Amino acid sequence: MDRSRLLKSVAVAWFLLTLGAIVYATRLALVDAPTDALQGNIFRIFFYHVPHSMLSLVWPYVNLAASAGFLFWRRRDPLRALTADAVAIASAEVTLVYATICLATGMLWGRVEWGIWWTWDYRLTSMLVLWLLFVSYLMLRALSSTGQTKTLAAVLSIFAGIDVPIVYMSIRWWRTQHPGPVFFSSDPDAGVDKSYYPAWIANIVAWAMWGLLLMAMRYALERRRQQREQDAALKAIEDSLEFTR
Amino acid sequence: MKLSWLFGPTMAQRHLLFAYLVVWGIQGGYAAWVAWQWWRTKPQGQ
Repeated sequence: MDRSRLLKSVAVAWFLLTLGAIVYATRLALVDAPTDALQGNIFRIFFYHVPHSMLSLVWPYVNLAASAGFLFWRRRDPLRALTADAVAIASAEVTLVYATICLATGMLWGRVEWGIWWTWDYRLTSMLVLWLLFVSYLMLRALSSTGQTKTLAAVLSIFAGIDVPIVYMSIRWWRTQHPGPVFFSSDPDAGVDKSYYPAWIANIVAWAMWGLLLMAMRYALERRRQQREQDAALKAIEDSLEFTR
Repeated sequence: MKLSWLFGPTMAQRHLLFAYLVVWGIQGGYAAWVAWQWWRTKPQGQ
């Protein structure tokens, strides 16, 4: 079996596996997980909000690693730098998707439980900064036409990488309106009942698989675009040589 | 499987439904956009 067919088979298998995982996780979140005694069914927003929030703090590091790779290879090995750049844009878009869902579902929950859509609390504000950094990153890449765009974007992703630990630690460092840490907390009274674990874990795994699938799809698209740009540039050079003869 | 509690007039029910629509809309919309761009961007020579 050649490489392209093998990759296609793996992609289709991963897609089907991911869809199955999402359906199973949705069933656990909507049907099997017990209703929360204090909040009622609105608590079920967390089965989506928490996985998306956690993953929107993981994907920026894929972006950071790829951007660092781009900066390292851009003069040493330009073809490898292009590969790193394709990973960087794919992970930036997926981060924005996950961070947008994190903010939107959090606001929908906050309006019901707190009576307000938004508050300038440390967790919410640092998450909004992360979201704005990725909006800036993608706008820079879409609108700037200088030869330095990819380098500038790679530098911007370092700022996003610095913001991630601040977002993660904000509910530990400062007293916030946002609920305290549910996972990895040193407080013995923190956390949720064990009956919720299957729904949490299934949703985290399913949405992580989906994020990887999206990133792979977007990476493949970017590589195809790069290939077209290179072919068009080569053709332009050949045509100009033809013209000067 | 009874999901009637998901559809109701209270703010909590509406917001839970909106949250699910946000998740599926944004994730599905982005995946559809990438698939559409992939289909539109044919490899050179095709």
